[in-house]
Amino acid sequence: MSRSLTRREFLKAASAGIVGSALLGSTACSSPASPQRASANQRVTLNLWYWNRSIDDKILAQVDQQFPNVHLVPQKIGGDFKAKLLVSLAGHAYVPDITGINADISTYFPDKDQFYNLYDFGAHKVQREYLKWKWDEGVTPGGYMIGYPMDTGPTALFYRYDLLEKAGLPSDPDEVARAMPTWEAYFEAGRKFQAAMPHVHWLDDITTVFTQIMAQSPKQYMDKEGRFIGDGEHVKRAWDLSVRAHQMDLSGNVAGFTTDWNAAMDNGSIATFVGAVWMKLILEQAAPDTKGKWHVCRAPGGAGNNGGSFLAVTKYSKHPKEAFEVIRWVQSPPHQLQAYVEIDLYPSAPSVYSSPKMNHPEAFYGGQNTNLVFSTSARNVRPGYFGPGYDIINPIYGQYLTNVETQGANPEAAWHATLDEIKRQLSHQGMYKK
Amino acid sequence: MSVTGIATGREEGKGRTWQRAAGYLPVYASIAPFYILFAVFGLFPIFFSLYISFHSWDGIGPMRFVGLEQFEYLVTDNNFWISIVNTLVIWIMSTIPMLFLALVIAFLLNSQIRYRGAYRVAYFIPNVTSIVAIAIIFGSIFGNHFGLLNSVLHAIGLHQVQWLNNPWGIKVAIASMVVWRWTGYNAIIYLAGLQSIPGVLYEAARVDGASTPQIFFRITIPLLRPVILFTVITSTIGGMQLFTEPQILVGNSGGPGQAGLTMVLYLYQQAFTKNLFGYGAAIGWGLFVIIVLFSAINWRVVQRAGVR
Amino acid sequence: MALVVRSIKRLSVHFLLLIGVAISIFPFYWMVVMSTNTTGDIFRFPPKMGFGPHLLTNIQHVLQSINFAGSFINTVGVSVAQTVFVLLFDSLAGFTFAKFDFPGRKVLFLILLGTFMVPAQLSTVPLFVIMAHLGWVGSFKALVIPGMANAFGIFWMRQYAQGAVHDDLLDAGRIDGCGHFRLWWHVGLPVLRPALAFLGIFTSIYTWNDYFWPLVVLINPNRITLQVALSQLIGIYSTDYSMVMAGTLMATIPLIIVFLLGSRQFIADIAAGAIRS
Repeated sequence: MSRSLTRREFLKAASAGIVGSALLGSTACSSPASPQRASANQRVTLNLWYWNRSIDDKILAQVDQQFPNVHLVPQKIGGDFKAKLLVSLAGHAYVPDITGINADISTYFPDKDQFYNLYDFGAHKVQREYLKWKWDEGVTPGGYMIGYPMDTGPTALFYRYDLLEKAGLPSDPDEVARAMPTWEAYFEAGRKFQAAMPHVHWLDDITTVFTQIMAQSPKQYMDKEGRFIGDGEHVKRAWDLSVRAHQMDLSGNVAGFTTDWNAAMDNGSIATFVGAVWMKLILEQAAPDTKGKWHVCRAPGGAGNNGGSFLAVTKYSKHPKEAFEVIRWVQSPPHQLQAYVEIDLYPSAPSVYSSPKMNHPEAFYGGQNTNLVFSTSARNVRPGYFGPGYDIINPIYGQYLTNVETQGANPEAAWHATLDEIKRQLSHQGMYKK
Repeated sequence: MSVTGIATGREEGKGRTWQRAAGYLPVYASIAPFYILFAVFGLFPIFFSLYISFHSWDGIGPMRFVGLEQFEYLVTDNNFWISIVNTLVIWIMSTIPMLFLALVIAFLLNSQIRYRGAYRVAYFIPNVTSIVAIAIIFGSIFGNHFGLLNSVLHAIGLHQVQWLNNPWGIKVAIASMVVWRWTGYNAIIYLAGLQSIPGVLYEAARVDGASTPQIFFRITIPLLRPVILFTVITSTIGGMQLFTEPQILVGNSGGPGQAGLTMVLYLYQQAFTKNLFGYGAAIGWGLFVIIVLFSAINWRVVQRAGVR
Repeated sequence: MALVVRSIKRLSVHFLLLIGVAISIFPFYWMVVMSTNTTGDIFRFPPKMGFGPHLLTNIQHVLQSINFAGSFINTVGVSVAQTVFVLLFDSLAGFTFAKFDFPGRKVLFLILLGTFMVPAQLSTVPLFVIMAHLGWVGSFKALVIPGMANAFGIFWMRQYAQGAVHDDLLDAGRIDGCGHFRLWWHVGLPVLRPALAFLGIFTSIYTWNDYFWPLVVLINPNRITLQVALSQLIGIYSTDYSMVMAGTLMATIPLIIVFLLGSRQFIADIAAGAIRS
C-alpha cells in the first residue's frame, strides 16, 4: 500500500523533471545486479550487504555448497553502510535481498513493511537458541520480526589491575566487582584511587558513563506506545551520575575513538573504563604497551549491552524464504562460535559460551579468561526497547553532556536545554508524544 | 581581453537570421555537451530535491506532504544558524591565508629557482595523501592531551590547549587542515596561470629596475586576475560546502559545542544518519542560496579590485 | 658584496620554501611510516616516527583482503576515460565562452555557474534513481558519463583562455580560413596546455579518489573502484590501520606519476614565453 503511494509520489516528482515516464515500475527492479545464473541449475541469486568483519567470509564462501538452489553474492561494505542502504531504499532499486542492520534497528520499525516478517518463515523454531533480549530487539512491539540476531556487545569494566594494586585498591576481578557493585561505589573507589595516583584519571570520559548506564537500563527514551520518556528518572539518574563523575574530577576527558583515547590508554593515564566486548580489540590495538596489565570484571551497575547487529530480508527480495534459510544457517550457533574464533564477534547464541574455544587465558588481560565476565553480562542484560526516534534523541544527550564537560556549561541548565532540544527535534518529525 | 567572435566578422551585410543562426551552430555545439548532460542528469535531481523539501521523508517509507514546514523549521533552527556561522568563520580563517600562500609559492616556483621540480612535487603531496591517514595524523597533531602540537607548546613553555574541546581550537584545526590540503593545489592553478604571462614583460620590468615585489604586484597579480577570480569563486563554493575535513576531525556531530558543524556536515548528518531526507533537502536549498549570494559578492569584490 | 646579498636572499627563499615543504610532506611521510609498522605502533604514544619492518606483511594483508589488482585496473580505466572526456569537452566549451560572443552567452554561463553551486549531496538519491532506470547501476558508465563535461572545468578553461588566447592569434587563424573547431584545436589548445595539464591532473586525481558516489552506485562486488575496495578494509568495530595505510600508499603512487607527467607543462621558461607572445 504505502509502496504504491510512494511510487505515485515519485511520478509526481518526476513529471516536473524530464525522466518522468522512465520512472514507471520503479519498485519492480529488485536486484538485477548480477545476471541471473539460475538458468544453469535453478539457483536463485541472493545479494547480501554486510560490514567488513561482521560475518566470517569463510562461512559465506560455503553457502553455495550448502544450498544447491542458492547463489549468494556477498558485498562487503566498509564505511557509510547506512548511507548506501538508505540511497537504494530511497531509490527503490537494487536493494539487496539480505542486509545488515545495526543496533539502531528500532529506527526501521515504522517502515517494517519494507522488510519480511521472519516469523513467517519459521523463525520461532530457532528462537530459543538465542538470547531473549537480543532476539526481542529485532522484533517490533506488534510482533513483526525484522532482524535476525548477529553478534552482541555485552559490557564490562576494563581496568588496569597493576595501577589499582599500586593505589591500594582491590585488583582481582571478583574483588573489584564486589567492591564496586554500583556506579556510586565505583566513583568512590575512583576518588580513593586518584588520591593515591594523582597523575592518572579514573575513567575516560563522562559520555561513556552516560552511554554505559543507559546500556544497562531496560527503559530508554521512548516507550512502546511511542511516548517520550527521556525526561524520566532513569535518564536523569544517568545524567546526574555522569555530571558527578565530572564534578569529582574523575574523568580524563578523552573521548572514545580518538587518537587521544588511544594515547591515553597506551601511556597509562586512564585506569578504567566501562565498555562492550568489542572494545577488547580496539584496546589491544590502541595500547600495545600495556599488554598483560588489564583485567575485566562485572561493570558497576550490572549487565549491559552496547552495539551488536542484525540481518534482515528486504521486501525487494524475490526469494525471501531462501534468504531466511541462508541467514539461519550463517548465524547458527556453531557458525557464531566460528565467527568469534576468527574475527572476535561475540555470539548471541548462549549455548556456545561454554565452548572451550571461547574460554582460555588471554595474555593481554593478564591471563584472565574474559569470557566468563562477558558471558555472564550477556545472559543478564535486561531487555530494552529503543524506539524509532533513537538516532535523533540519543546524540543530543551526548552533545550537551560534552558541553558540561568541556565548555563548563551549567549541568542543570544543560539538562533542560537537552530536553527542549529533543522536544523541538521530535516535534518537527511529528514523533513527540508525551 | 575583448570578446571577438564570429558575430562581428559576419554581421555586416547579410542580415538573414537563419544564416546567422547557422553561423552560431558550431559555437552552440561546443558548449552543448555540458547542457545536455545537465538536462539528463542534473535537472531531475534539482526538481526532485526541491520536491522532497516539501515533504517529511525518512527515505524508506512513504513521503508525507508538509508544505513549507521544513523551511519554517530551517529558519528557526539554531543548529542551522550555528552551521552557517561556523562555515563562514572557517572559510575566512582558511581561504585568505591559503590563497595568499599559494600565490607566493607559485610566484617563487615560477622563478628561475633551483630544485623547483622537487618543490612542486612536495607542495602537491598533501592533495594525494589519503583521507584516512590525514584523519589519524591531524587527530594526533591536535590531540587535546597527547597531541604533537601540545608537546611542542609544552616544550617551549607555553600553555597547552585542548584543541578539539575548544570552539576556536576546533575551527583552527579544521582551517589548518584546509590550508594544508589545498594550498599546493591552488599554487598549481596559479602556476598554470603564470605560464600565460609572457616572459618579455618580466624582462622589460627588470630592465626598468623593478624590484621583485613590484613585479609581483604590478605585473603578476593584474595579469592573473581571471585565474585569481577562478580560485576565489571555487574556494568560496568549496569552502561553503566544506565537509570532509570537519567530518574526519570531529565526526558527524560537529564536535563539542558543535563548533565544527558546517552546513554540508549538518545536511549529511540530518539526511544520512538521522534519515531526515526532507529536512536535508531544505538545508541543501538554504545552503544553495547562501552560496549564490556569497559567490556573487566575491565575484564583485575581485572584479572591482581589478578595475582601479 | 652584491653577490653575497643575492645568495643570502636566495638561501632565505629556499629556507622558507623548505619549511613549507616539511609541513606539506610530513603527513605523507607519516603515512609511509604507518604502513611499515603495526597498528599498535601507530597508536603508541609517543607515536613511532621511524620505519618498521612490516610493509610487506601489510601489503600482503591488503592483497588477501581485497581485489586490489582488479579494482586498480577498473579505476585506471574510469580515470583515464573521465579525464579525456573532461579535457575535450571542457576546453572546447571554456574556450568558446571566453573568446566568442553569441546570444544567451551570459545567461548560459550563469546557469553553468549556478549548477556548480548545488550541493552534490542533494543529488545522490535522484541521480541513483536515474541510473536505476537507465540500467547503469553497477556499471562504470554511471561514474563517467554524468561528469564528462563539468562546470568546474569549463569555468577554469574560460578564465584561463581569457588571458592566454590572444585575439590577434584568433584573427590570424580566421584569415587562414579556420572554422570554430579548428581554431580551438590549432590556436586554442596549444596555448591552453598548462591549463589542460592542471585540469587533467585534477580530474584524474578527483576521479581516482572519488568515494561516495562510486560506493552508492557500484553494486557488483567484482566491479568496484579502488577507493570503494579500500574502504572495505574498515571493520565494523576495529580496523587494522597499518594495513589500510599500506593499501592507500599503493593507491597513491599512480597519482604522483600523473602529477609528475602533468606538471612538466609548467616550465617557467622565459625564452619560451617570449616566443609564444
